[in-house]
Amino acid sequence: MADIKHAGDPHADHEHGSSAHHGHLKLEYQPALPLNNGKLFLWLFLSTEIMFFAALIGTYIVVRFGAPSGTWPTPEDVHLVEWIGALNTFVLICSSVTIVLSLEACKANQPAKARGWFALTFLLGSVFLGIKAYEYFSKFDHGIFPAKPRSLIHEKPDIYFASHVDQHLREQAAAIDSRRGENGQLSVEDQEQFDTVNNLRDNVVAWAQREAARASDPALAAAPLNLLALTIQHHHHHDDISALFDREAEELETDLTRVEMEIRELDAQLTPNKPPTTDQSGAQDEPSETPDPAVAERKLELENRRSQIQGRLKILPELKVMEHGINEHFDWLMLPFVIPSGNMWANTYFLLTGFHAIHVLVGLIFFAFPLVGGAVFNAAKANFVENIGLYWHFVDLVWIFLFPLLYLF
Amino acid sequence: MTDQRTHGQIEPGHGDPGYHGEHGGNQKYIVVFVALCVLTTLSFLTYFNWWDESFSPGVSRALMMAVSCAKALLVMLFFMHLLWEANWKYVLTFPALMMSVFLMAMLVPDIGLRTRHYSEQRWLHAATPRPSSRDLQREHNAGDPDEPPADHEEGH
Repeated sequence: MADIKHAGDPHADHEHGSSAHHGHLKLEYQPALPLNNGKLFLWLFLSTEIMFFAALIGTYIVVRFGAPSGTWPTPEDVHLVEWIGALNTFVLICSSVTIVLSLEACKANQPAKARGWFALTFLLGSVFLGIKAYEYFSKFDHGIFPAKPRSLIHEKPDIYFASHVDQHLREQAAAIDSRRGENGQLSVEDQEQFDTVNNLRDNVVAWAQREAARASDPALAAAPLNLLALTIQHHHHHDDISALFDREAEELETDLTRVEMEIRELDAQLTPNKPPTTDQSGAQDEPSETPDPAVAERKLELENRRSQIQGRLKILPELKVMEHGINEHFDWLMLPFVIPSGNMWANTYFLLTGFHAIHVLVGLIFFAFPLVGGAVFNAAKANFVENIGLYWHFVDLVWIFLFPLLYLF
Repeated sequence: MTDQRTHGQIEPGHGDPGYHGEHGGNQKYIVVFVALCVLTTLSFLTYFNWWDESFSPGVSRALMMAVSCAKALLVMLFFMHLLWEANWKYVLTFPALMMSVFLMAMLVPDIGLRTRHYSEQRWLHAATPRPSSRDLQREHNAGDPDEPPADHEEGH
């Protein structure tokens, strides 16, 4: 780095009067930036870190606001708890203060005090990571993972989603079935779960798939799949879900009446009205007309439909009382669910918070070494504490932006 | 460059017991800590329903970003001591900051605006549902009310 001495500097003029007069500058070179090697390294590292996190946060911002209106998950959708994020912010702010107080104590040559603040910073960093781990596990418990195949999130309720749900239920049924005892019997609890799984397969998933296939218009086909998604998981803002079930029940009752009436008509066609004639010998005549196979087939079809509608009508009141859907009511099931833009959210959330958590972990390792190694936090240690402190403040800085972006936007 | 030379010349107080209290003692850190807590609380207010009923999402987001920038400045200036550092701080931080802005700006056309030019076929396989024409109109009006709607431009 060079310091520029002005042409008007009288000292410079004295030494190089004529040069300065012609506008030449005297450059006084310094061998380096005016700070120690460790601090210079830290600041160079932090300037690369600024770009690293700027790219990650920038990506999140453009992906978040590039998503079509109303499709980005709310914190409630993805089980983010705002006050936990705020608590973690508070913990990190506290740790920033304790590390700077540790530095001041080092500079003042108060090793015991400095060590205390340093240890407290380590403790607060550990609390931050503990809370973060709790948050991560609450996501994993709800089937939210950074990527497939473990992630159960589907972006929209389509046939692939319905197939995925069906596959999960089949696997559950097979798993329960494998627990049969030597006498071929399931325990009471297993039998209950087995019945629930089969009930859901027949009257929720297969029903939605069938209704979607029956619809001639693609827009109408989407309705049963949408309802399937809401049946599996919905939140407080979907209060109208019970109204949807009520409306469906009304429509199905009407449908059932129509189907039963049609079955009776077909029965009448299949069973001739005239009573069987009896000849003089007492032998009954066989009906003269054989049943029409097409009518018999139609009747069978309607009977199937009737039993499907009855099954659906039976499960609707049960679905209606499930406050947040099947997944919460039967927490052992963990069925795939729909969150628009959910996988994109999970990718960015875990990437951002994951890299931040790695930085916290690295900071904790650097805190642990001198604490475990019995270092004396005197004035000679001030440079080390200052450098680790700079790193720690940067970690805090990143979280200052992550908290509102991830939890409150 | 050695530690002894530069350290001794530029930061004579560091490591010296006499350095304590050079910039006002520990009191300033406590004041900054309180300010950070107050600012965090201010951000957190946007979480409550009564806030949403009183302010639009745009206002809330602008406030949150302003609060975050204020908190970041406090941390950098006081906790990271940039307020008292020499001008090298600009040499090391400004290029990185400018690169960061460029990085974000370069992501906008490819990612942020990716759905603007989706074909009908592309929308069929899009991960996110297509916004309704009303949403698009609202978004357009919010962005630049003076320009004619995009539909009209495409129509000609």
